Amino acid sequence: MAHVSDFLKPSDLQRISNLQVLARQVVEGFTSGLHRSPHKGYSVEFKQHRQYVPGDEIRRLDWRVFARSDRYFIREYEEETNLRSTIILDRSGSMNYAGSAAGGVTKYEYATKLAACLAYMMVHQADGVGLTTFDTRIRRHIPPRSKVSHLRVILDELEKGEPGGETDLGDVFHDLEAKLHRRGLLIIISDCFGEVANFIKALAHFRHARHEILVFQIWDRDELEFPFKSWTQFDCLEQAGVKHLLDPAMLRQSYLENLATFRESLIRGCRRHNIDLVPFCTDEPYANGLAAYMTRRLGRR
Amino acid sequence: MNFLNMAMLGGVLAGSIPLIIHLFHKSRFKVVKWGAMHLLTAVLRTNQRRLKIEQWILLAIRCAIPVILALMMARPMWQGAASLLGNRPTSTAVLLDNSYSMEAGRAGTSNFSLARDETQRLVGELKRGSEAYVFLLGEGAGLLDESTRDISRVTQALDKVGSGYGVARVPAGLEFVAGVVGKMTEGTRQVVMLTDFQRLSFPASEDKAFGQAIGRLKQLPVPPTITLWDVGAEVQENIAVESLDFSKLMVGVGQKVQIRANIRNYGETARNDFRVKLKVDGRDKATSQVLLGAKAQSQVLFTQVFDTAGSHVVEIEIEDDAVKADNSYLASIAVRDKLPVLLVDGAPGATPDDLKSETGFAQIALSPFAAGKVEQADLIQATVVPAEALTAKNITDAVVVVLANVAKLGDEPLKALEPFVRQGGGLLVFPGDRTDPAWWNGAFGNLAPLPLGPLAGDLKEGAPTMGLTSQRFDNPALEIFNDPQNGTLSDVAIKAWYRLKPSEHSGGPEDPIILARLDSGDPFLVEKPCGEGHVIACATTLDAEWSNLPARPSYLPLIQRLCVYLASNIYPPRNLRIGEQLVGFLPVASAGKNAVLTLPDTSTVEVPVVKKGERGVVEYPQTRHPGLYTLLPPGGTPIHYVVNAERSESDLAKLSASEIKSLAKTHGLQLVHSAAEFKALDKIQRYGHELWKWALLALLVLLFGELILQQKFARGRGKS
Repeated sequence: MAHVSDFLKPSDLQRISNLQVLARQVVEGFTSGLHRSPHKGYSVEFKQHRQYVPGDEIRRLDWRVFARSDRYFIREYEEETNLRSTIILDRSGSMNYAGSAAGGVTKYEYATKLAACLAYMMVHQADGVGLTTFDTRIRRHIPPRSKVSHLRVILDELEKGEPGGETDLGDVFHDLEAKLHRRGLLIIISDCFGEVANFIKALAHFRHARHEILVFQIWDRDELEFPFKSWTQFDCLEQAGVKHLLDPAMLRQSYLENLATFRESLIRGCRRHNIDLVPFCTDEPYANGLAAYMTRRLGRR
Repeated sequence: MNFLNMAMLGGVLAGSIPLIIHLFHKSRFKVVKWGAMHLLTAVLRTNQRRLKIEQWILLAIRCAIPVILALMMARPMWQGAASLLGNRPTSTAVLLDNSYSMEAGRAGTSNFSLARDETQRLVGELKRGSEAYVFLLGEGAGLLDESTRDISRVTQALDKVGSGYGVARVPAGLEFVAGVVGKMTEGTRQVVMLTDFQRLSFPASEDKAFGQAIGRLKQLPVPPTITLWDVGAEVQENIAVESLDFSKLMVGVGQKVQIRANIRNYGETARNDFRVKLKVDGRDKATSQVLLGAKAQSQVLFTQVFDTAGSHVVEIEIEDDAVKADNSYLASIAVRDKLPVLLVDGAPGATPDDLKSETGFAQIALSPFAAGKVEQADLIQATVVPAEALTAKNITDAVVVVLANVAKLGDEPLKALEPFVRQGGGLLVFPGDRTDPAWWNGAFGNLAPLPLGPLAGDLKEGAPTMGLTSQRFDNPALEIFNDPQNGTLSDVAIKAWYRLKPSEHSGGPEDPIILARLDSGDPFLVEKPCGEGHVIACATTLDAEWSNLPARPSYLPLIQRLCVYLASNIYPPRNLRIGEQLVGFLPVASAGKNAVLTLPDTSTVEVPVVKKGERGVVEYPQTRHPGLYTLLPPGGTPIHYVVNAERSESDLAKLSASEIKSLAKTHGLQLVHSAAEFKALDKIQRYGHELWKWALLALLVLLFGELILQQKFARGRGKS
């Protein structure tokens, strides 16, 4: 049985315990929570007055207004709901890369910790959290729940998984959309490798379904800086047998340029669809990055 | 390509080190399991070709660096095609200037001995089997007759070569050498000229003859390299005896003869008491002191009386200076006992010395001391014979025959006269009122210089007279009148004369030459070469009947000199220039025997006496060395010949350094000033240029290039 402490250090937990994952846009949920709900109903927080139209429930008429103005107004309240978030974790081969700067921590390990952390935060703010792992296709889909015991299910899944296979975000997301019935927060933890256009298209799909999307992009320092010097054979983690023997120093500049282009197009695509793209590097403590992001996000609400 | 340090060439193997390192690195690669392959493959796809090329370029440069370093340390030499011939034998022609200006020098060493030593060394150091030829510029001839591979023969012959020869005729020498070099067989040819660059021998850089000679050398199928070697130092100070003249064409025993020497100072220092010595037959006779200004000329006059007949040598000697060859001037002079002149009188007087006779004046003029009963010797012994009494014997006994107003000669004397003239005798003809023009133009026509025309002028008292045209005379007999101090012919008044009809020039050797003309344009004196002798005809009479000539002061020298001139043809010239043929006439009896000729270097040669006509003739053409040649005929007395070098060489002025440079540049020649320079040049020609500087440059370029390229390649060009 996996426990939160298997994934998260007490210091990290302390660091994030004060944080809340807040949806920036309205989410649909059942219980009252921190998040705005599109469903208007009985609630404490007044939202607006609206002129009565035939068909409205009589009980929702604001009689005080009627008494004052002799006109019918409907009183509308903002309904608070719980957040249904789904963590979509990339379990493709490329996530298995462990650079020297990260001290042997693979991107996947880093990603699981990040996922665990998020799940923990969600559960603790009484929001529902689900987990979907995928590589070429969806490996496991745990629908969102807000019970504390549900956290264990997620942690078990996180512990079990072993990355492998290729990434194809486009198809996976297409399949996944069918499984997400209600709009909510989608947290994608991936290195986002693959065709940028496909990826953005898939994200656009989610956005169309009115999901809010957060992309936590996991990088290794080696991937960002390409620090190799001597002759190196690069074996592909996703496709067996694909290997290149080369002098990395000769290619570094071109690689970095290519990388910059890739990141730039990714950032541009995300911004276009109002998606937060948050890069994480495995040699930095995830809690720091997460905390910084959450604080920033809260400020923007 | 050649290498001075072959051992270092092994270092070229170091060129493989970068390759080995490259392969080593490539084989000891690291394996990285890589995730972001899509980023890498995209880069690889666009850059693979470029990467490969760049890697090869870098590898090539890295391999080249140690290779070039090793090459540089091996000290490569480049000599083009010559590289293959570096150690091969050569064909070398040396032009050694041994003209007498080369005698000048500094510190007791003459330029010539320097040049000779350098030639010795140059020839001595030729590769085995080389051909050598040395041409002596002063002599205008080769040291040996042809080029040789026996180098020791050349060096031995060089030991004996002296300087002090004539003018260095550079173009002629180069032309000659071009012919010799053309026949030499080795492929590597060089022509080296060691000279003092005397201005005289190198008139100017644009000199045509020099350019043509160089052109001939360069047009050879295998053109030689031509090197000018400037030998020795320039010396300014030099005093030379320029010439030596005698006042008389022919000297008789006991006659006073004036010897005039021209001394020229080529230097900048004036001399107040310059001593000039006269030597006769090797014995000091007189000494004189002259004042010689800087760059000035001075004359010294000596009077000499010869006691004995025969050949004598007169020498003018001055003090020693840098150039010895021009410190003395030799001349050979023939002193005769008597010069028999036969006067044939066509209108004899009552007594032989009657002035009214046709030959009266002439007899006195030819032998004035005898006529005046003076205790001095006459050279000419004049004999008068009436025309009717003339015999063949009279003619052959004489050296010069004078016909004065002779109507005609009998067959016998006429028959004797023609061979007499043809064998070198002189004939002087004066017409007169008795002369038969028909005989002159007929039987005498073979000897007469010009046909006799009509009589001109008027003998009446007070009738206008005709004078002689003032002109410059070229004939040695009349030369004296070119100087007005010696008298003039222009005050002669002629009343009557024959018009000598000038004939068409045939261009033959016996064409008449007009020596003097009358104011009317008619010839006055006409000379006709006739075999070995000459005939001179006058347009008027020998006596005072038709002209006032006998009364003029110029009559005596004129008649005397004409006779001496005609007589002197009996002797071939004894004062020769270098290269002129030495000729001696001997009695016909000695033909078939050998005469002994002593050369200036005291060696002797036997020269055969050949019968030509009525006498024996000795000929010796190789008068290359200046100095005294003594011919001893079989059973006779010695005859002296003198060969003098041209004195223009005495002007030691040298071309300036810039002129020499431009000369070399204009004609594309190499120029050296010392043995070391020549050796360096020869080394470059033979083994080529050292290339290590270029190799170093290439090395630096490669080192920097490698650095820059590596940076550039790593930065990448593919922005795709």
